[in-house]
Amino acid sequence: MAIAGIVITFLGFLISVFSLSLSSSVNGRLVIVLVGLAVSLIGIIGVLNPAYMKNAIWRK
Amino acid sequence: MKNTRLLLALFLTLATVVFGQAPAAPPPAAPPAAAPAAAPAMITDADIKGLSGPDAKARASGDPDGGLTGTTNDITIADPVTDKTPKAKGLTVGDLANQIGQNKIAVNFVWTLVTGFLVMFMQAGFAIVETGLCRVKNANHTMMMNFMVYGVGMLAYWLIGFAIQMGGVGAVANLGGSPVLSHEYVVTLFGKPWGMWGQGGYFLMHAGSYDVFVMVLFLFQMVFMDTALTIVTGTAAERWKYAAFIVSSFVMGGFTYPLFANWAWGGGWLATLGSSFGLGHGYADFAGSGVVHAVGGVTALAMGILIGPRIGKFTREGKPLAIPGHDLLVVLLGCFILAFGWFGFNPGSTLGASGNGALRIGSIAVDTMLAGMAGSFGSMLYMWLRYGKPDASMTGNGLLAGLVAITAPSGFVNPVGAVIIGLIAGVLVCLSVEFVEKVMRVDDPVGAISVHGTNGLWGVISVGLFADGKSNYGGSWNGVDGSVKGLFYGDPGQLVAQLIGVATLVGFVFTFSFVVNWIIDMVVGQRVSAEAELGGLDLPEMGALCYPEFEVKTQSVGASS
Repeated sequence: MAIAGIVITFLGFLISVFSLSLSSSVNGRLVIVLVGLAVSLIGIIGVLNPAYMKNAIWRK
Repeated sequence: MKNTRLLLALFLTLATVVFGQAPAAPPPAAPPAAAPAAAPAMITDADIKGLSGPDAKARASGDPDGGLTGTTNDITIADPVTDKTPKAKGLTVGDLANQIGQNKIAVNFVWTLVTGFLVMFMQAGFAIVETGLCRVKNANHTMMMNFMVYGVGMLAYWLIGFAIQMGGVGAVANLGGSPVLSHEYVVTLFGKPWGMWGQGGYFLMHAGSYDVFVMVLFLFQMVFMDTALTIVTGTAAERWKYAAFIVSSFVMGGFTYPLFANWAWGGGWLATLGSSFGLGHGYADFAGSGVVHAVGGVTALAMGILIGPRIGKFTREGKPLAIPGHDLLVVLLGCFILAFGWFGFNPGSTLGASGNGALRIGSIAVDTMLAGMAGSFGSMLYMWLRYGKPDASMTGNGLLAGLVAITAPSGFVNPVGAVIIGLIAGVLVCLSVEFVEKVMRVDDPVGAISVHGTNGLWGVISVGLFADGKSNYGGSWNGVDGSVKGLFYGDPGQLVAQLIGVATLVGFVFTFSFVVNWIIDMVVGQRVSAEAELGGLDLPEMGALCYPEFEVKTQSVGASS
């Protein structure tokens, strides 16, 4: 799951960068960049961190 | 007639003094008829050759009021090709112009160096803030990390990092316009050039980089890089293996930081989003909310997740427990030192005090102090209202949050914008600390993720909102004519450029930092043993206690404090 979290986080970055080619309008790019940012945050907060929390020291 | 006017003026002055307000002023006298405009007189060599400074006799009797020091006598005149004797040809317009040019660059060199020295002193502030927020049993270890991050980071940056960051920056007009750093590796993507990393300036000797301009730029950029590195030591404090810290800091100073800094400041692809894709002026980060603080902050988050919380920070149910630091006095003193150093951080980022709009240094310094003030107020009031007391360490963090947030926009916003940005930062840091601790359950002993990461990102976004279009650094920023304007001043494209920068920090820099530190964890091991952590890291990691005469009380696992 940790690797999936890292991949999703990086995918969010790629989505944001590809906004430059996927849309030529400012509003279109804004929406795509925000989607990319949300994907990255989900990767960190929703996937990667919980994967590490499963084995956190305070659970032992 | 003249006497009448004088009497009238005297009467008006007296009336002002007596009645406290000036009566209506009389209509001004008609100006004398304008003479026909004459062509402006040009200075010629003949005019210049007639100049002479104070003679030797006058100079020999001292210069108590300074009127004889710094005259034409101090201008060295020589034709470097034909004349070896100073003053052989007399002062020429060319000599004068050269001297003016050198004076301008000298002012800018001195400004950039002195502000760089101020930023270097921030290391002392970071060191005592972090150490004060840690426990006595880890004081030597925490202090040593903050001490050696300076040397480790500098070594990596001198060897590799500076070349990656600034090797392709090109000429910097304020520092003399030398073209020696013009080796950027560029790829073509979406039909546009994308600067990826610099390739000149390794060891400060490669490709003609043994140059006075390069030395000034290196010193200034090096202390910025070290600021980013020292952020991570705060989050990983009290459980980071010292050897792993050395390796991790070297990689960050040599690769992680310089890569993003190249994209933002070294002529890389983020800086050219404006000229290539029409997004405002491209990613604009005046002094480094993103480049310095958010890079440090997201790397700190990666480390915080990877290394895990300190023993005793959370109960078995995951409830966070307070682990107070050992010296609140030095924490707040450190915050003051950092606020002082920030006057180097932000105003120094003009890289000069003369030319190309650099006189805006006054505005940048005032914006900086206002945002810091607003940040401390924001967090103090938030904590007071929510918990009933104005928490000291969070108020200090609020000051730092305001300063972090204003770092990117300090060169582009007005004082009202600075106060709004700082106030939001002060509240945001409190909310972020609660989120990181209670929701994510990431242990951050000093709040570095929230102060530098969250508010670094907020600072980057705030440029895209509050930049008022009044600053003009030589007519363009990032190669786009005109001034940087945010959404509230009519340019939504600037906000998109800023958000792409934020997405890069969260999506790329975090990933890169996590993978690098994960590899280090596999090879070296990031975390000390539970035994060492419980007893304190000073003896097992450093071999000496910071306070040998103190009796150290060891906290048991899971105990509330």
